[in-house]
Amino acid sequence: MKKFTKNIILFFLLMLVTGELTVRFTHAVSDIPQRTIDEFGIQKYKPNQRGYWKGGDHTWVVNEFGWPGILPKSYDNLVMVIGDSFIENFMNSNECHQSEYLKNMLPEYNFMETGRSGISLIEAMEISKQLDTLKPKQHLIYVNDHDFYESIVEVKPMADITQLSLKDSMIVYGEMKAPELKKVLYNWKLLYYFYNRFPISGSANEELEATQKETETIQKTQYTKEIIKLLNYIKSNYKLTDKTLVFHPNSNKTIISLSEEAGFKTILLDSKNDKTWTFDYDSHWTCYGHERAAEQISIQIPF
Amino acid sequence: MLFNSLEFFIFLPVVFVLFWFLFKKKLKLQNLLIVVASYVFYGWWDWRFLSLIVFSSFVDYTIGVLLKNEEEERKRKILLWTSICVNIGFLGFFKYYNFFVESFIDTFSLIGVELHSSTLNIILPVGISFYTFQTLSYTIDVYNKKLEPTKDIIAFFAFVSFFPQLVAGPIERATNLLPQFYKTRKFAYENAVDGFRQVLWGFFKKVVIADNCAKYANQIFNGTEEYSGSTLLIGAFFFAFQIYGDFSGYSDIAIGISRFFGFNLKQNFAFPYFSRDIAEFWRRWHMSLSTWFRDYIYIPLGGSRGSLSLKIRNVFVIFLVSGFWHGANWTFIVWGALNALYFLPLLLAKKNRVNTDLVAEGKYFPKLKELWQMSFTFFITLLAWVFFRADSVAHAFKYLKGIFDSSLFSLPEVLPYTVLALVALFVSVEWLGRHGQYAIERIDFIKKPLRWSFYLVLIMLMFLFTGEDQVFIYFQF
Repeated sequence: MKKFTKNIILFFLLMLVTGELTVRFTHAVSDIPQRTIDEFGIQKYKPNQRGYWKGGDHTWVVNEFGWPGILPKSYDNLVMVIGDSFIENFMNSNECHQSEYLKNMLPEYNFMETGRSGISLIEAMEISKQLDTLKPKQHLIYVNDHDFYESIVEVKPMADITQLSLKDSMIVYGEMKAPELKKVLYNWKLLYYFYNRFPISGSANEELEATQKETETIQKTQYTKEIIKLLNYIKSNYKLTDKTLVFHPNSNKTIISLSEEAGFKTILLDSKNDKTWTFDYDSHWTCYGHERAAEQISIQIPF
Repeated sequence: MLFNSLEFFIFLPVVFVLFWFLFKKKLKLQNLLIVVASYVFYGWWDWRFLSLIVFSSFVDYTIGVLLKNEEEERKRKILLWTSICVNIGFLGFFKYYNFFVESFIDTFSLIGVELHSSTLNIILPVGISFYTFQTLSYTIDVYNKKLEPTKDIIAFFAFVSFFPQLVAGPIERATNLLPQFYKTRKFAYENAVDGFRQVLWGFFKKVVIADNCAKYANQIFNGTEEYSGSTLLIGAFFFAFQIYGDFSGYSDIAIGISRFFGFNLKQNFAFPYFSRDIAEFWRRWHMSLSTWFRDYIYIPLGGSRGSLSLKIRNVFVIFLVSGFWHGANWTFIVWGALNALYFLPLLLAKKNRVNTDLVAEGKYFPKLKELWQMSFTFFITLLAWVFFRADSVAHAFKYLKGIFDSSLFSLPEVLPYTVLALVALFVSVEWLGRHGQYAIERIDFIKKPLRWSFYLVLIMLMFLFTGEDQVFIYFQF
């Protein structure tokens, strides 16, 4: 038994080392950039990082400002592109980012992306405020219905996302969720590989179904009053004349009209009668989806 | 609980440690642990169906004890038939109820009589076909006085529910497995290492071969009308390796895990795709089921003795029952009938036991004749698999018609070179290791560093070529 135990442990350790090397060498899992919280309470990435997306087909970059994507060559005629994982867009190469497509379609403008997965509308507004020093002409904020609900503590409290407490009329800044554990998980690639292969909290599909159910419940109950309060807060605390909300296809029409009433310009993307914009295995846009979205925005962008 | 799940990777070491460290010298406690662990393993899927195993075990244990004390033949027969009725009754209800109701309605609708009856929404308890046959073998052997009935209820419950082989076999005979629950176990290093190696090979078969082949087999079978003959042939080829990798992989894992605990289960697959005729194939494919049918159905019916019509009847009975055992669908029955048709000429010509030795024994390469025989046998097996995989008999015929089309000689639309290369590698290793119980059993002649490197390569291939997670096919049977 001693010999067996010794050999099993030794083999297991060798397997860990070989597994780690194999997973790293073949990019069996994506590299995950490290996050930080800046002095304004904004959760972003540590500057100047680079890594591979799963499979090693392309690399992602985090620029010197701590946002994914490549910085524009000039900050004149600058348009900020703010959003969640769709703008962060690690799953596509840099050529398939909104800023690239928009620059090709509107060459007289420069575009800079500030995306981070999971940001709420109020967090996007906070980010836009901090970026005013670059004197952008316009902020394009990509949103879906979730981003409104997730902005309000009283509707959907989320500790890791910046939200607005309607009760106190106060911004509650997000905190990093289990940063040390994440550091270990993302650096120990083999562990991360197993974590993806055998998700602890059920399968990815189960999670997706749970989120969809939750969204349906939220949409049924609406929370119109809370959204109006959120928009009133935004109206009183941020400049809206240079902000355009870009709504994902099939967004809630009531939310769009409320946003317009509050003073936002809006663009509603339309993917009907078109081939799919998203990957088969996740809900993010493919290069085709990004290009089609940029095309529609370039036509409707309000300069 | 699936073998290829995180839960099992936690479950197994816990049971192993308890078994060998905590209950080391206490046979009864070890057996009790196996019962509890097996029920946890099974209940993880659906605890409600544990009651079936418990009931089945209790009935057969009691009947075994009663048979021991009963000398009157009529009463012994009643006891035997009670066990058969209970076990087959469960199996029939859960597995075949809807099939019989639907077939009954369809038959009457053919003669213009419309019957209205609703089928039930019955969940098929995982592994019911396996443990039912295992426990039945006990009662039949006790009835035939080939086995002394056990008085040890814990040992008997452990025999019926033994978790490594509970849900997908091998179907163990009481004569082989049950006595192993009576003997004090001693940890044997060689046994455990061998078990570990077999588990590894089983996982490779399942995760790399079966799951990768499944992806393309599913794609091609689901789009039968869209593909050329050559692609359909490739689809059938992938299914042949999917089902072999899946099922024999499960058996290897089950046998290997059993060896960790000091148990020896019987070989279930003996490189069937290297068979030179269909009779040899059936001696090498799912051996625990084939021998079960042989011993408890075919031989009692008269086997290959008697008149010509009796021989033909017996062959058809055993193959049709085998097909029906796999599932309540006409596709399985046609699959069984087709195999009977393949087998019959060999039996009638008395050539069914020509190839009982190992092909190309002691040689690296087979003779041309052997290569032709193996290829032909594989090809006809592959055609039969089409019925096994198809959604309906009509689908299978459409699929076969699609294969034998002029487009058979066109370039396939689906030709995944990586998966084909993996299958080629797999077949090569199987060929080189065909002398053993499983392909890499006799790898000990290689020095330790190289041997361990080979194991690590297998594991890395599992990381790199993990197919989409598929449930073991034989769970549904």
